[in-house]
Amino acid sequence: MISLHQVQKKFGARLAVADLTLTVPRGEVFGLLGHNGAGKSTAIGMMLGQVWPTRGTVQVCGHDVTTHRARALHKVGAIFEAPAFYDYLSGWRNLEILSHYSAPTTAARIREVVAWVGLTGREHSKVKTYSHGMRARLALAQALLPQPDLLILDEPGNGLDPEGIAEMRRTIARLHRELGLTILLSSHQLAEVEQLCTRIAVLNQGRKVFEGLVADVKAERGRVQLRTPDFAAATALLRERGVITDAVDGKFITLGEGRTIAEATQLLVGANFAVDGIWQQDQTLEDFYLSLIKPPPAETN
Amino acid sequence: MFFAQLKNELWKLFGKKRTYIGFGAFLLVQTLMLLMFKFTRWESEFEKLLAGNGYLAADYISALTVALLMLMPQVLLLLPLYVALVGGDLVAKEAEDGTLRMILSRPISRFRLLLVKWLAGVVFSALLVVVLNAVALGFARLLFPWQGLFVFAPIHQIFQVFSPGAGLALYAFSSLFIVANAIAQLSVAFMFSCFNIKPAAATILSLSYLFMNMVLENIPFFSSYKNWFITHHFDSWLQVFTSPTPWAQIFQSEITLFAISATAFLIGAVVFQMRDIKS
Repeated sequence: MISLHQVQKKFGARLAVADLTLTVPRGEVFGLLGHNGAGKSTAIGMMLGQVWPTRGTVQVCGHDVTTHRARALHKVGAIFEAPAFYDYLSGWRNLEILSHYSAPTTAARIREVVAWVGLTGREHSKVKTYSHGMRARLALAQALLPQPDLLILDEPGNGLDPEGIAEMRRTIARLHRELGLTILLSSHQLAEVEQLCTRIAVLNQGRKVFEGLVADVKAERGRVQLRTPDFAAATALLRERGVITDAVDGKFITLGEGRTIAEATQLLVGANFAVDGIWQQDQTLEDFYLSLIKPPPAETN
Repeated sequence: MFFAQLKNELWKLFGKKRTYIGFGAFLLVQTLMLLMFKFTRWESEFEKLLAGNGYLAADYISALTVALLMLMPQVLLLLPLYVALVGGDLVAKEAEDGTLRMILSRPISRFRLLLVKWLAGVVFSALLVVVLNAVALGFARLLFPWQGLFVFAPIHQIFQVFSPGAGLALYAFSSLFIVANAIAQLSVAFMFSCFNIKPAAATILSLSYLFMNMVLENIPFFSSYKNWFITHHFDSWLQVFTSPTPWAQIFQSEITLFAISATAFLIGAVVFQMRDIKS
């Protein structure tokens, strides 16, 4: 559905995206992760033909966006962080205006979409009277109007309260389930990505540092949690015997290559340490993400 | 689809309160000018001028004469200001507000988007001129009689009188040329609006261009280069009141204004096409 090949984008001398190759297969919910300034929005801009790549090719729905933008975006809907509307016009008029940039849209279709997102009854009010949540629903409505096959969501939960974020998450899941849309989701909400996405790519300072299945990430062996009254002494012994390579936060240990929990337990019990518990902890997406992302270099004056 | 998109641009344009600033300002200025004409020594001074040239003041101190006198400074200064304000907003304000990014996630081409926006600006310019001319005449008629038209513009060496019928026809005809002025000024502002700058900056740049032309045109050294200044071509609307009418000069000015409008639009379109649209 989306294919980026060796895409590079420079703003002056600054490299925003470097040699990005990415494939979003049809029918997937794909998460695009990265810190602020990692290049996510620039990559999305290139997918929508808003930002011109310095090098490389960007294909959406089988068409090159830079040369056949209209064909590529014919069945694409997009939502941006803090969606902007003509606040002085009604929600309905906004939908009419935006839909006419894609294709002729009937009033019945607008009514259908308004009902789907739950804005019925407020569609004729001016947008300036809408809450953040209602604006988010309106943004979703405008994205759904062209009956898209692909939805590109750039930080759709930004600015929403926890209830709004949860509602947005349920809506995205519903869109995938009921309408079978392919969804590209750029988000900082790692829990949201973990719940919704089947595949992710992680960008760090403009470069892709990971692309793979969320299930594989979670299946990877994570850290081991150890509960013992004397964590420092216990881990010193384990480290001395080469069973662990690292111990952090007074509760986590990292087993050495080929070493097992049983081995660690046996050693500690044999040395008369009270072991209240020792167990493998599942790796969360957050653990994985943080292990990948190196903080950007500190700014110097 | 094209007309639906144009209609939408007009909805957006006329849905904004600031679009009406120009209309409001014209009403205010015309009211003030009219009161000054009526209640100061202007009328007696004008009577003397007419009498000195052998005309009966009663025949020519009329609604048409006063309306035309009110138009002169407004066409020169206020009209460019308000069309520049709208022209500078057309693209840059949408980029600033973030709605441009929303539009450009749709399969409309950038050129087509600009074309409908520019046409909406043209409609606004034409409407503003029609309202300006109609309100000037309507207001003047409230306080002055329906008589002949006296045109006195010493800078342009125009001193003419017309019957009420001929005067009204010329008054209406001249508005076509005022519309051309407004479109040229709007196009320059629109061009700057296509750059990656704030809407206010686009408006200021286009007005700077206008005032620079105005200043240079009035420096004697540049008198032989006057054809290069847009403000020189803005005078066509007054030239229609001269006798014999200098059609060749008017035609040349209108062609020049059309060329300026088209060039400004094309430069804007090329710049906009090359730009990255970011949040």
